[in-house]
Amino acid sequence: MKWKNVRVLRIVIALIFFATITLSFLFFSAGKLPFSHLLDTIQFGPAFMAVFVGSALPFIALLLLTIICGRVYCSFICPLGIWQDIVIWIAARFKSKQQRRFKYRKPNVILRFGILIIIALCLIIGISYPFALFDPYSIYGRIATNIFNGAVQGINNGLSSIFPASVSYMAFSNITVWTFVVASAFFCLVTILSAFWGRMYCNTVCPVGCFLGLIGEHAMFRLQVNESKCKECGLCGLYCKSECLDSKNKYIDYSRCVVCFDCAKSCREGALEYRFAWKKSKTQNSLEKGKIQNPGRRDAIFALGTMGAILASRKWGRKIHPAKAAEEEKEGSLIPPGAVSIDHLKEHCTACQACIAACPSKIIHPSITEHGIDGFMMPVITYKKHFCSYDCNACSQACPNGALKHISLEEKQLTQIGKVQFTAKNCIVFKEGTDCGACDEHCPTKAITMLPHKKKPGLYFPSVNKNICIGCGGCEYVCPASPKAMRVIPNEIHEAAQKPTVDKQEDIKVKDFGF
Amino acid sequence: MERRNFIKTAVLGAVAGAVTLNTSSLIAGEKPENNVVDKNKPVDLVAAMGWEPEELYSKAISQMGGMSRFIKKGQKVVVKPNIGWDKKPEFAANVNPLLVAAIVKDCLKAGASEVVVFDHSCDECEASYRSSGIEEAAKKAGARVAFAHDEKYYKEVSIPDGIKLQKAKIHEALLACDAWINVPILKNHGGAKMTCAMKNYMGIVWDRGYFHTHNLQQSIADIATYVKRPVLNIVDAYRIMTQNGPKGKTLDDVQTPKAIFMSTDIVAVDTAACKFLGQFNEKVNMDVVSHIKLGEEHHLGTTNLDAINVVKLAK
Repeated sequence: MKWKNVRVLRIVIALIFFATITLSFLFFSAGKLPFSHLLDTIQFGPAFMAVFVGSALPFIALLLLTIICGRVYCSFICPLGIWQDIVIWIAARFKSKQQRRFKYRKPNVILRFGILIIIALCLIIGISYPFALFDPYSIYGRIATNIFNGAVQGINNGLSSIFPASVSYMAFSNITVWTFVVASAFFCLVTILSAFWGRMYCNTVCPVGCFLGLIGEHAMFRLQVNESKCKECGLCGLYCKSECLDSKNKYIDYSRCVVCFDCAKSCREGALEYRFAWKKSKTQNSLEKGKIQNPGRRDAIFALGTMGAILASRKWGRKIHPAKAAEEEKEGSLIPPGAVSIDHLKEHCTACQACIAACPSKIIHPSITEHGIDGFMMPVITYKKHFCSYDCNACSQACPNGALKHISLEEKQLTQIGKVQFTAKNCIVFKEGTDCGACDEHCPTKAITMLPHKKKPGLYFPSVNKNICIGCGGCEYVCPASPKAMRVIPNEIHEAAQKPTVDKQEDIKVKDFGF
Repeated sequence: MERRNFIKTAVLGAVAGAVTLNTSSLIAGEKPENNVVDKNKPVDLVAAMGWEPEELYSKAISQMGGMSRFIKKGQKVVVKPNIGWDKKPEFAANVNPLLVAAIVKDCLKAGASEVVVFDHSCDECEASYRSSGIEEAAKKAGARVAFAHDEKYYKEVSIPDGIKLQKAKIHEALLACDAWINVPILKNHGGAKMTCAMKNYMGIVWDRGYFHTHNLQQSIADIATYVKRPVLNIVDAYRIMTQNGPKGKTLDDVQTPKAIFMSTDIVAVDTAACKFLGQFNEKVNMDVVSHIKLGEEHHLGTTNLDAINVVKLAK
């Protein structure tokens, strides 16, 4: 077997993942790729979150994959990892041969484990926010929606002024400044680190990389140096973008190895082989045991144990964490249908922006202050630019985490995310004494109906039935009064709306035109 | 009037008479009565009932004198249907796509250099274009479907005759065209009480909120005074929404009278449509749909259907 061919396979798979996931965040293709959701669900962050609300299957699959194959997730699946590989490849075109070389580097233990431990502790006491901030898939989602999609929209709008008939103009309505700043900061950090130091980000900052490293270190299959073939030329070390291959000592730090097969490709002798490693783990890769410590399987078990503890504790942990008490004093904010409640959202959302990208009406934005500190960049709905389409459940279909449950269209049409509140003194009909009815026009469930005005014959005013209102915001968006006469008051916990009434009508046959 | 047109009209009138006499027996013995005030003038209004959309259209347009009466060779034409909502055709929230396609084809046949179809939808534009079936049908028929979802497609014009509405942002395609055909669907309407030809103007403007805050009925009449008037109004009443309009909830809101109204007179066609809709919903009448009379006050047409040449066709 030629292991360098696996590298080609890795690149192909990685590009499929990268392209599909990127497209699922771009305005013209978001929510339109049938299989993109599957590729989203097997990302680490979403898979981890899905354990609590959806299925544990993707997460178990990821763990098994890592136990068997090592950190292939980081090279084949993770869009942020693949982005770094792309940057590394591009940067190499601009570098001299000398500059292109990598060299073995000791791990930054304090930083990588520090971040992992802090995030794990937060998860244990029920604060998932730091995890949301550092989950690589979600980071990539924010980069894709804010930067890549922004750029694509810019190009699109440029084209739309050249070809006005065939290219549709897209307003930049779903990007908020602070999310853009955060996305840009991570984008710059990741891009710069990878341009100069390979996969440094994955092995010093990324908590997912660090966690998978604890397991990957003891993977069943690992890249190993075949001593009978090795000529000790040291070439492999120069190609290791994780800078975890010490060619002098024929040592590979598997906790940092992302199984990219670049070393296998570089080796002219084919001495780097991807082999079953459990039997030989004691003799392999530790020629100088005294010099380099091999921490043993304990760490891997410890890592899995910690993960188990986190999983078990999150259910009750959420109840004691301090941010919750603070929330109750605030007025709520609207969250997409399927989010169940603001607590449920905050517990499971990693702010990846998939729902924001999928919303065709562009009414979902990343929260700045609306959800509080622990809801920063999570989805919030406003009805300033449009309202929620009755026949659409794209957001809940796009969510890979289960933070927005997968609700059917029928369920969505009965999910009350808020209730309409009518303020008669603001209403045009009462203020001006003229017809309006814009709210009634837009109401899909007819929670708003127009009733005859008692004093002014011929004039009709709106009346609301909150029980059948689903809070879609058609009325609020379109209400021309200022201040608005129709407002949707958020439900902190989503409720089930009553079914709209059915207004049966006989088939009417007319004999004449009526004039 | 030119001799040719006179002869054409006379012949068509005769044909119309013959058709009416032959087919009227189906309407419970009653004969729909044509009202031809002035034989020397072309038909002002055609009402037809009982056929499928394309057939309805072709029967009515031939009564009107054919599309070439309205569209000249080389003209850029806008066909402006109501595509307000993200709803399928059977819900009668949008104009029947078959009718739009028939009109587009006919315009091209009459020599139009280009036919553009657009509407400023209330629901999300792309979804409304798609669900209504109009985008697909119009494109297939040879039209260009124009975007209308962003303010940048609208340019401000003044409405000098407006009482409440003196300026409005109107879609650039309509500003650029040589002739436009107004194609509303007849519906009950919560705000305006009825939406038809004059109300359909609200889909050519960007800021509809202004209408609602500035006396909706008057603003509707005002926008219809915009200097570029439609050369023809074609009211789709194949399916009509008789309650819960203009969006509707269920198929229960829909009746299927299989009718069409056509007129060069926007007030007359709305009057006819209003009286027609009144038969299905007693709350709809000329008094509550007050923009029609306000339109008459603007001299946009007449509410007196006895004063114009009317042809009625029924199966």
